[in-house]
Amino acid sequence: MDILVFVKRVAATQEEELRLIDDGKNIDLSKIPFKMNDWDNYAVEEAVKIVEGQGGSVTAISIGSAESDEVLRRAIAMGSKDGILMETQEAIHDPALRAQAIYNFLKKEDIKFDAIFTGVQSEDDQFAATGGILAGKMDLPYASMVIGIDAIENGYFVLRRELEGGLQERIKIKAPCILSIQSGINEPRYVSIMGIRKASKVERKTFKFNDFASRGDAIIDLIKWSYPEKKGGATMLTGEMDEICKEILEILKKKGVC
Amino acid sequence: MSYALIISEVRRGVFEERNLDSIGMAHLAGKDAFLLIPEGNYNLNNSIVNKIIKAKLEESLFLNPLIITELISKIIGTLGAPEIVIFTHSSSGIELASYLAGKMSLPIITDVSGYDRNEQIFFKSYYSDKVFGQFKKAKESPLVITVRSGSFKDHVTEKGKNAEEITVDGPSGIEERSFVEYVEEEKTGVDITKAEFLLSLGRGIGNKDEIPKFEELANLMKATISGSRPVIDKQWLPKERQVGTSGKTVKPKVYLAMGISGAFQHIAGMKDSECIIAVNKDPEAPIFQYAHYGIVADANKIRDKLKDLLQG
Amino acid sequence: MQDEAASRVLVCIQCGKCTGGCPESGRTPFNIRMLVRKKQFSYTIDESIPWYCTACNACTIRCPRDVKPSEVVIDIRSTLVENGDIPLAIQKALENTFVQKNPWGKPRSKRGEWAGKLNFKVPHISETEHKRLLFLCCVHAYDPRCMVIPVNVATLLHRAGYEFGILGEEECCCGNEIRRIGELGLFEELMEENKTNFKEYGVKEIIALSPHCMNTMKNEYGDTGIKVMHYTEVLSGLIKEGALKPHKPFEKEIIYHDPCFLGKQNKIFEEPRDILKSINNTNLKEFSRSKEISLCCEGGGGRMFFEVETHYKRNSETRVEEAQSKGVEIITTACPFCVMTLEEKAVEKGLAVKELSEILMEVI
Ligand SMILES: Cc1cc2nc3c(=O)[nH]c(=O)nc-3n(C[C@H](O)[C@H](O)[C@H](O)COP(=O)(O)OP(=O)(O)OC[C@H]3O[C@@H](n4cnc5c(N)ncnc54)[C@H](O)[C@@H]3O)c2cc1C
Ligand code: SF4
Ligand code: SF4
Repeated sequence: MDILVFVKRVAATQEEELRLIDDGKNIDLSKIPFKMNDWDNYAVEEAVKIVEGQGGSVTAISIGSAESDEVLRRAIAMGSKDGILMETQEAIHDPALRAQAIYNFLKKEDIKFDAIFTGVQSEDDQFAATGGILAGKMDLPYASMVIGIDAIENGYFVLRRELEGGLQERIKIKAPCILSIQSGINEPRYVSIMGIRKASKVERKTFKFNDFASRGDAIIDLIKWSYPEKKGGATMLTGEMDEICKEILEILKKKGVC
Repeated sequence: MSYALIISEVRRGVFEERNLDSIGMAHLAGKDAFLLIPEGNYNLNNSIVNKIIKAKLEESLFLNPLIITELISKIIGTLGAPEIVIFTHSSSGIELASYLAGKMSLPIITDVSGYDRNEQIFFKSYYSDKVFGQFKKAKESPLVITVRSGSFKDHVTEKGKNAEEITVDGPSGIEERSFVEYVEEEKTGVDITKAEFLLSLGRGIGNKDEIPKFEELANLMKATISGSRPVIDKQWLPKERQVGTSGKTVKPKVYLAMGISGAFQHIAGMKDSECIIAVNKDPEAPIFQYAHYGIVADANKIRDKLKDLLQG
Repeated sequence: MQDEAASRVLVCIQCGKCTGGCPESGRTPFNIRMLVRKKQFSYTIDESIPWYCTACNACTIRCPRDVKPSEVVIDIRSTLVENGDIPLAIQKALENTFVQKNPWGKPRSKRGEWAGKLNFKVPHISETEHKRLLFLCCVHAYDPRCMVIPVNVATLLHRAGYEFGILGEEECCCGNEIRRIGELGLFEELMEENKTNFKEYGVKEIIALSPHCMNTMKNEYGDTGIKVMHYTEVLSGLIKEGALKPHKPFEKEIIYHDPCFLGKQNKIFEEPRDILKSINNTNLKEFSRSKEISLCCEGGGGRMFFEVETHYKRNSETRVEEAQSKGVEIITTACPFCVMTLEEKAVEKGLAVKELSEILMEVI
């Protein structure tokens, strides 16, 4: 089975406070290190596991700046056969534009595959849409929130999708198809620096994003960014023991856990 | 006519509460709310939408992206194009919405949690709510959105009369993607990283004899018990329950910490929990800097009171 | 380096001196002599076993055949790292270090935040005359408990009129623990990044706050031409010169715990003691196992990020119990890892743990 996996290089902002600049037109990421999008890490691992089990190949593809080569090397170190970069210096905020470029690229370069994997979403824009849009354009069956692949038989994936509240649904989906992989589906392997260095020797192909789509084709516009409403520190619950405990139970209920 | 097409999310006979956010979004945008729902006995207030479109097909087919796209194009064929198509931002919502947008080449904005009616700007989260992007569609076309649960339900208003109902035929099943069954998540032993609600115990609870009483509380609250390293060291709780840098990293919906001081090594393992409630008798305990709710009290007394309330 | 370790194990005579000094052997499933033997015969080694080692180096110091058992452990770990067969908690620490240059994944942009707690401004190293660098351990930079240590030492140096500078957010993990975890490639990257900075700013001396950083920069960074010292060496010198005067009495029974990376590995035994002895009215006691044979606190070698499988009494508890039996009120030490491991157990017994600089701040 030949699988294409889309991987994205994102800013590691988990513990950062972000600063908006240029009147909210930009986010200052100058001091923030980058890494592979968490969900894509799971997607690569899942694809590599499948290929290790039944043969085939994994190709990692990234859209982004030249530095995105870093996540391709990582994907190769994890077990991908090769990597492709669709290079663009500009950030793309419209998932439909991204999907359009991929669609055109796969057609024009005549890339063959049995399945395309993406992460469910990326940590930066959290759109969770590129895989689905691409599937719609390509007329391929689609499933998102894939939390387990139980079997691949007779040209079908039997897989589980994560729903809400601990519930999952098992579905059957025909290959070729597009699957968006949920975090937690597996335990992504550790790739050592030595492994990444070795991966650097594997050739990665670079294409120009602009040869497949242009920014003017975006169908939504990002006007600017803004900060969320400020939350204060901890709300202290005070009063009689009875009241406090009732309040706790109220919070638990609101969060839907009790 | 300018209307909002709301794709309801129904699961195992239940009309999900988060659909109200989709309806609220339509009301906030000032559009007529047309609700698409599979035929069946769903409990919904039909005076909060203008039209109910009942599709003759099973729930599991309705939630299939390949099928719903066909259904929606059929509706557009008869009712004309909607201004906006609204889904819930949920596991199925994002799947259906993105596929639809791709298939019909429509613009899409997901996880919408705010709307500026004058400017017609949609707010969506970036970087886990650290900042919000303000989006507009860039071409004249119906827009597809998914809305965040809890964001718009307050905008729902009664229309004063019951919705008109129409029925459409649904497409039949397809082999490209088919539903097999529902599965409850496997519970293989305890895995505190998978729990939605952790009751986490620290050295402050005093001694081992208190543990069974906390277990009773955990049962009543349907919580899973975890702990800080000293509690594991003393063998009050088994190793797989340890939260922290040298234990496990957890992200439950609720993390209720009782008698935990909030050392760096502990915080690193739980700070990303959605809601942290801390009970500690020391008002200066560092954990209060990370908690959303804090209670300065004796953990064991709070425990007993909670038990009383839940039992009584 | 791997080949070298492979050839060294061949000279092992299985005398067991390594095991005799090892803080893990005997109490846990770990046995360093057996591990060396398995390596000699290329037997398979249970993946969970090598992670017990705390990298204290007692074995290497005692071995009569220069087998360097502690390096054998690193060698075994590095194979596990290359294969990805490592505990999840270790994997997280490594991935965090790769991205943010510290094992907890704290933002690099906040690495210099501690300096905001000072009531004077510390210059960047480039702006100093003597090019003396105060180098922090990741723990100092991010753990609120240990952040007082750089604040204290910087204040003391400042009071003594001793010029120094810092790197702020350019500072990156020293790699001492990373090397001992067996991630040799990552260690090299961290070392290169630090060395590049040292070179760019013409660093001549490094005052390391942690014995762990001092150890690797002094012994493993190769020939940098930089003089690397632990801060206790500098402060004891300043006290001797009279630049710093501990004049207030400190009427407490205290005991000093030798950190492995300061004491047995780098033979710095006296400077911390000299500092303590310079304080009036202090009664300094000694552990039965001190100096060369000091009992390891079990914070090193990756154990900061990883809990071993079995339950056994921690050495920190043994240490605290001995201190208690000696009627001590305060345990003091000069390593942030030791502070944390000891304190966790000491609070339970009502003892205080103070880093040496915390005591100094009270008397100067
Ligand atoms: C290498 C290393 C790794 C570590 N890894 C971890 C780890 O993975 N996870 C972890 O948790 N720790 C870890 N630690 C330990 C950590 O440093 C702290 O010591 C530990 O988290 C403290 O646990 P605690 O909060 O339960 O206890 P304490 O710090 O003793 O806090 C007890 C708290 O309970 C409060 N209290 C007392 N009585 C009551 C009462 N009746 N009602 C309410 N509150 C009360 C007190 O005010 C206090 O705040 C590690 C330490 C080291 C050195
Ligand atoms: S001390 Fe050296 S020679 Fe003796 S058993 Fe250990 S490794 Fe072998
Ligand atoms: S370094 Fe210390 S813990 Fe590790 S094997 Fe040697 S003596 Fe044992």
